[in-house]
Amino acid sequence: MKRAITLGVSLFSFSQAALADEVTDVLNTYADIAEAGYADSLATAETLQGAIAALIDAPSAEALTTARGAWLAARVPYQQTEVFRFGNVIVDEWEGRVNAWPLDEGLIDYVDGSYGGPSDENEFAVLNVVANPNFTLSGEAIDASVITPDLLQNTLHEADGVEANVATGYHAIEFLLWGQDLNGHGTGAGNRPYTDFVQGEGCTGGNCDRRAQYLQAGVELLISDLDWMTAQWAEGGAARTAVLQDETAGLSAILTGMGSLSYGETAGERMRLGLMLNDPEEEHSCFSDNTHNDHYYDGLGVQNVYTGEYMRVDGTLVSGPSISDLVAAEDAGIDADLRLALSDAMRALGRIKYAAEAGFAYDQMIERGNAGGEALVMGGVNGLIEQTRHIERAVAVLGLDALDIEGSDSLDNPGAVFQ
Amino acid sequence: MRHVLAIAFLILPLPVLAGPVDDVLDHHILPRLERLASETALLSTVAEQHCDGPSALLQAAFNRSVDAWIGGSHLRFGPSEEENRAFALAFWPDSRGLTPRSLTVLLTQEDPIGLDPVAYREMSIAARGFYALEFLIFDPDISTSGSEAYRCVLIQTVAADIAYTSMEIYDDWVSRYADLMRNAGENDRYQSEDEAVRALLGALSTGLEFTADMRLGRPLGTFDRPQPQRAEMRRSERSLANVRESIAALGELAVLLAGENDPLSANLSIAFARAISRADIIDDPDFSGVAMPGQRVRIEALQRQVRDLRELVNTQLAPELGVAAGFNSLDGD
Repeated sequence: MKRAITLGVSLFSFSQAALADEVTDVLNTYADIAEAGYADSLATAETLQGAIAALIDAPSAEALTTARGAWLAARVPYQQTEVFRFGNVIVDEWEGRVNAWPLDEGLIDYVDGSYGGPSDENEFAVLNVVANPNFTLSGEAIDASVITPDLLQNTLHEADGVEANVATGYHAIEFLLWGQDLNGHGTGAGNRPYTDFVQGEGCTGGNCDRRAQYLQAGVELLISDLDWMTAQWAEGGAARTAVLQDETAGLSAILTGMGSLSYGETAGERMRLGLMLNDPEEEHSCFSDNTHNDHYYDGLGVQNVYTGEYMRVDGTLVSGPSISDLVAAEDAGIDADLRLALSDAMRALGRIKYAAEAGFAYDQMIERGNAGGEALVMGGVNGLIEQTRHIERAVAVLGLDALDIEGSDSLDNPGAVFQ
Repeated sequence: MRHVLAIAFLILPLPVLAGPVDDVLDHHILPRLERLASETALLSTVAEQHCDGPSALLQAAFNRSVDAWIGGSHLRFGPSEEENRAFALAFWPDSRGLTPRSLTVLLTQEDPIGLDPVAYREMSIAARGFYALEFLIFDPDISTSGSEAYRCVLIQTVAADIAYTSMEIYDDWVSRYADLMRNAGENDRYQSEDEAVRALLGALSTGLEFTADMRLGRPLGTFDRPQPQRAEMRRSERSLANVRESIAALGELAVLLAGENDPLSANLSIAFARAISRADIIDDPDFSGVAMPGQRVRIEALQRQVRDLRELVNTQLAPELGVAAGFNSLDGD
């Protein structure tokens, strides 16, 4: 029972210069992948901003399709950065601004009558800011006559302390581009007409000027958030510095992010729960029907950081020494098993993606009684759970599992917990 | 197995103590899940005779079953994770109000799936398990919605489904999973005893986190914006009882894990007992008091106490066991 601790000591007390260098290199690769991933997310979001400007400038079906395509493209690098959550405080504190989900979209714009009204959980589920320039929020009169990034970020987002009040980020933009998916488990995604953005005569859905304002403010905010996060991972940035300053904590952040994203977040909250609820809205990108890609690129992000390789959106490869090398040096078997588990999970997530791209949408897969869909989704879930088990073994073999204990107030003052 | 340990004892410089896994299985997991299976079987039988919401017998059987569930709800790995069984028993928190919504649809449309416990296993988890049954029995709207005949059968269906799932969990533990943990090191699921201990420690730590953050944290909300309507099972006035029941069960697990370490066992016993007595002085079964300053401070104090228990587990029990809790289902957001 003292074994794990002994191993931990073996890795870090052996810390000759060579090993320390190697760990630093691993942490730098990790930070390089983060920096490149957020920079790619930023660049693709700027393309999205251009497409949105064109849509608002001259609304047409083609312009809306182009903007939707740009949103889908922007998700590819971003989802691969989700693996930097759960281990890095800077990312965790920021993430809710850009990728919060699920959302009560009635906060933002018009919704279908079947959506329901204010609920036990959320009084503002149908606030509809696009249609209402003035309203009261927690007793305070709000002037929303101009929809600005500041209004979205500081007043509306998580209004009334309700997490489902998502006013910013990818999914708010997704809703404005696609609208509600009213097809239930049937074929098709959201189908907002481009005329929702026509200014003046021909405007559908009402308040087209305010809808356009909202969309532009939303993408502007997304860009400033991504720009900020990219800088945190650059040389001298706070996120990179935090990872590099404590080797044990840095390595632990890598594996914690991998395990938490695989298990609690993707396999649990996003995939299994949606399947078990058979609710077509219980999918990560429910307006655009892009959920298969969300899961796939989340999985790829986990594989990226373990193997120390990320392919940028322009085709260049960021690579370097990885945590896989450190695990292999301790126990080649554990490393091989983990690599295999990551590949198996990617194959299972790939099957969901291929089926979806061939026309079997994710919201159809999770329909009650759809055995083929259930098998596909559970294949992904099981792959992610299995890889988590191997990630736990990697944590143990690197002796990182005693980490929680270090630097804890209670350890310094054990009596405190009895008071 | 014992021989191997004995030999290892001679060779290794470190003392190897008999692990706590057998004790936890024999005195915690198996008896608690057996109780869950038998209480829910009884619940299903009672529902066959008394399917109207106000029935005192049905409500009593519901309460005993939920006590049994809460006392084993932290064992969310292995048999209860596989086949999504724990999800089928307990979908909560329900932040989008899916449980009342799906039940209303069933009741108003009289969907035939509600008449058949086997078919019902395909139903959305929002309409299955203890939380759905609570709405059917206790919620003023749902318990009077639709026709009495359909509602009666739906209650029987949900109760039968709960009993079946609970039996599956217990059977799977007895026939398969307990041996995987006992024989850790000889199978691929648990490649060493440490891995089995890590799973148990994880269940303990996650259970405490769930009670602090969800059962207590959700109704507490913030001081300016308490959220009493989010209290777990407030309709059956079980919010406080569930917290108390979970602390008691988790305390039992903690002490068994500490095993032969007497001072640590004693510390853990005292700390858990204190939390339970703190729960006992709260006179607010549905936590509606979170909105009243006098009651609120007591509920906040209980939440702090549960968080301290988790800290105690992570900082004293975990190092003693030589492992840290693995990844848990609350790691996401």
